[in-house]
Amino acid sequence: MKNKQKRISTLIFFIIIIILPLITTFSKKKSFSETENRPLQEKPSLSIESWFDKSFMNQSESYVADHFTGRIKWISSKINMELMLGKTNLNDVYITDSRMLEKITQPDYSVIDKSISAINDFANSNNVPVFVMMSPTSAGIYSETLPENTPQINQREIINYIYKNLDTKVSAVDVYDLLYAMKDDYIYYRTDHHWTSLGAYYAYSVAIQKLGFTSIAYSKYNIEHASNNFLGTYYSKTLYDKIQSDTIDIYSYNDGDTVVSCTVDNGIEKKEYNDIYFRDFLKGKDKYSTYLGTNQPEVVIKTNLESDKKILIFKDSYGNSFIPFLTQHYNQITVLDMRYVKDYKEYVNVSDYSQVLFLYNSTTFCEDENIKKIAY
Amino acid sequence: MVFSSLTFMYYFLPIVLITYMISPPKLKNLILLVSGLIFYAWGEPVYIIIMIISSFVDYYAGIIIGKTKSKKRQKRTLIFSMVVDLGFLFFFKYSGFLIRIVNTCLKTDFTEPDLPLPIGISFYTFQSMSYTIDVYLKKVNVQKNFLNYVTYVSLFPQLVAGPIVRYEDVENEINTRKVNADIVGEGVGYFVKGLSKKVLLANNIGMLWTEIKAMDYSQISVVTAWLGILAFTFQIYFDFSGYSDMAVGLGKMFGFNFPGNFNHPYQSKSISEFWRRWHITLGSWFRSYVYIPLGGNRNGKYKTYRNLVIVWFLTGLWHGASINFIFWGLFYGALIIIERLGFRKILEKLPPFVSTTYTFILVVIGWVFFDIATMPEAISYLKAMFAGRDFCDSYSLYQIKSYAIIFILCIFASTDMWSKFTHKLENVKKMRNPYYYSIVITQIILILMCTCYLVDATYNPFLYFRF
Repeated sequence: MKNKQKRISTLIFFIIIIILPLITTFSKKKSFSETENRPLQEKPSLSIESWFDKSFMNQSESYVADHFTGRIKWISSKINMELMLGKTNLNDVYITDSRMLEKITQPDYSVIDKSISAINDFANSNNVPVFVMMSPTSAGIYSETLPENTPQINQREIINYIYKNLDTKVSAVDVYDLLYAMKDDYIYYRTDHHWTSLGAYYAYSVAIQKLGFTSIAYSKYNIEHASNNFLGTYYSKTLYDKIQSDTIDIYSYNDGDTVVSCTVDNGIEKKEYNDIYFRDFLKGKDKYSTYLGTNQPEVVIKTNLESDKKILIFKDSYGNSFIPFLTQHYNQITVLDMRYVKDYKEYVNVSDYSQVLFLYNSTTFCEDENIKKIAY
Repeated sequence: MVFSSLTFMYYFLPIVLITYMISPPKLKNLILLVSGLIFYAWGEPVYIIIMIISSFVDYYAGIIIGKTKSKKRQKRTLIFSMVVDLGFLFFFKYSGFLIRIVNTCLKTDFTEPDLPLPIGISFYTFQSMSYTIDVYLKKVNVQKNFLNYVTYVSLFPQLVAGPIVRYEDVENEINTRKVNADIVGEGVGYFVKGLSKKVLLANNIGMLWTEIKAMDYSQISVVTAWLGILAFTFQIYFDFSGYSDMAVGLGKMFGFNFPGNFNHPYQSKSISEFWRRWHITLGSWFRSYVYIPLGGNRNGKYKTYRNLVIVWFLTGLWHGASINFIFWGLFYGALIIIERLGFRKILEKLPPFVSTTYTFILVVIGWVFFDIATMPEAISYLKAMFAGRDFCDSYSLYQIKSYAIIFILCIFASTDMWSKFTHKLENVKKMRNPYYYSIVITQIILILMCTCYLVDATYNPFLYFRF
């Protein structure tokens, strides 16, 4: 009787280290993880070569980890333990009661300066009005809700720095103040790094006046809640599931002009669609891609609006939910994503356009080294 | 392979344990040998050959020393085997460092060899050398069976990160040993304790050090600097002692009793005591094979101090081929000499709280030199600790809030408060006592918690392209 505790320890230890790998071995293997947005490790094959160059060992480690039974549950339990220990930052995402926010790091001003001077060069070498809109991210608007002393860089200052250094030929479209004033509305997703359609609408209402139009009143739109269980990138980064999932809204304006075609060039081929919403994405994990699809080198939207106004937009993914609002004002909208475009001149002739808009969120603008490519 | 990985814990270990248990006694060493070789080759598929050559040489050296009556030949054989063992160690670990020194001093331009450091070479070299030296000193019998000898060297629980198990420690067990469910259960206890130390405490608190270590030392506050180095202080203790606990536990599962390697070092009352509680097997190795052969403290004061300086120089150098480690070793050498010169007597009279604090602060300062790669950086870190830009800033407050609970757990688990507590629980004999199962339940929870962290270590969302 003396050592019954030890025997039970032995028994339970053996049960755990035998059962878990057995379940793992005999369970069905997925080849792609939607939550992590990456392919999972395939079963490694043993050969003399793969043994001596250690690829067999490395792949085995990944294979076991990728297919370990209940993988996502283990990870999210770990997240909850970390939070119980008093941490508020997981994988560079801050967890608050109502939403997740990115950690804004000290920007590399040499990257920013290069992008700014590229935009200035662009404006000086093309005879077309150029507009720049720097969207704050949710972290920029809601940083005050973080607990005291949380390290966070002031995004307003970064945006001001960018605007201040733009050439006088470039018009800045400042949407920060309006978004900040509207912060009690549902303008940013709780679990994703993008703004919502409503956030994009507010930005649109400021931008479109600068661009020379009257904005369409909010009340004129029909709003469809296309999905209410969207879990975005912050969820994927942390797997923290105690925050209410997000809603994908689709705005339509029935009295207005309609989209005639939406041509997507993925760098290899062009495909034409008759809608700018890709509803197939509503069924998957990556629901934000409902807006204009996934990021692609070029998207050209044509409307039946009788006007000669054409706009060229350089953007990151914040543009995807913003651009639908422009379809009521332009005959053609050409969208370029410099992350996937080497030389924009291969796609467009700038003088064909009446206006050019650079639309980036502050975080992408601070980090993306592709913007400078527009200088040459 | 490392113990704290899913592949080890959930594949290698159960397969080896089961095969080992169902196989007849004659085959048990062979199974340990094969699993030791696979374990080592998993991390070092090419340089495993060095371990095999090294143990082959030491095995034959042992045979020759045992056979020949000629003292001269015995000595020559011993020297030959030591030259081979230390030659490998020197070549892989120190040749680059030596060339760098020669280049700097003589302004020559030899190219540094780009050699990988074979895993665990510092550990198994010392283990294997203990055998030939002890055979020469007639402290142990010659191991006639090559299989048994290689089994000893490649014994996977202690192969790559200690404790440094001397042949003497397992001489009898390598031939015959006893295992039953009670002993395995004891091993499970050690293993789970060690795994938790490593995965739950060391890795967690280590994240704080990684962050602070990467900061600009001229910009951090005093409190941040202390938080960082205290985080490392706990990280290295739990990492290393956790690994040793796992080794001891795994050893028990196969019937071996390895020596303990740590004994609550951070509550020592002097630096000399600290080194009797920290990495015990290394200290005792240097004592047996360097300090005592050099004459120890028997040849007068001057030689005693000379011997101490040599031992602490080597201890520093053993930890790594760089100036910092040597400095770190000599720092301890100096402190120990100062204590011997009479400071010890003063320490003994001080209240325990004062002497423990004195020891702990010096150990923490030692870690600055241990983990910050260059001397100028280490010194600027020390500056931040004692004369930082501010005393405390909002970053310090944020990190205190984020890590307070982990620090408290670390303090609790690194002193004997924890073991006193578990000891009480272990001694609950009555099954009706509600605490009877508390140890077992704690173990289950810890295994599951560690598994969460091990699975998460590989969680790798790829977010930038499609989102």
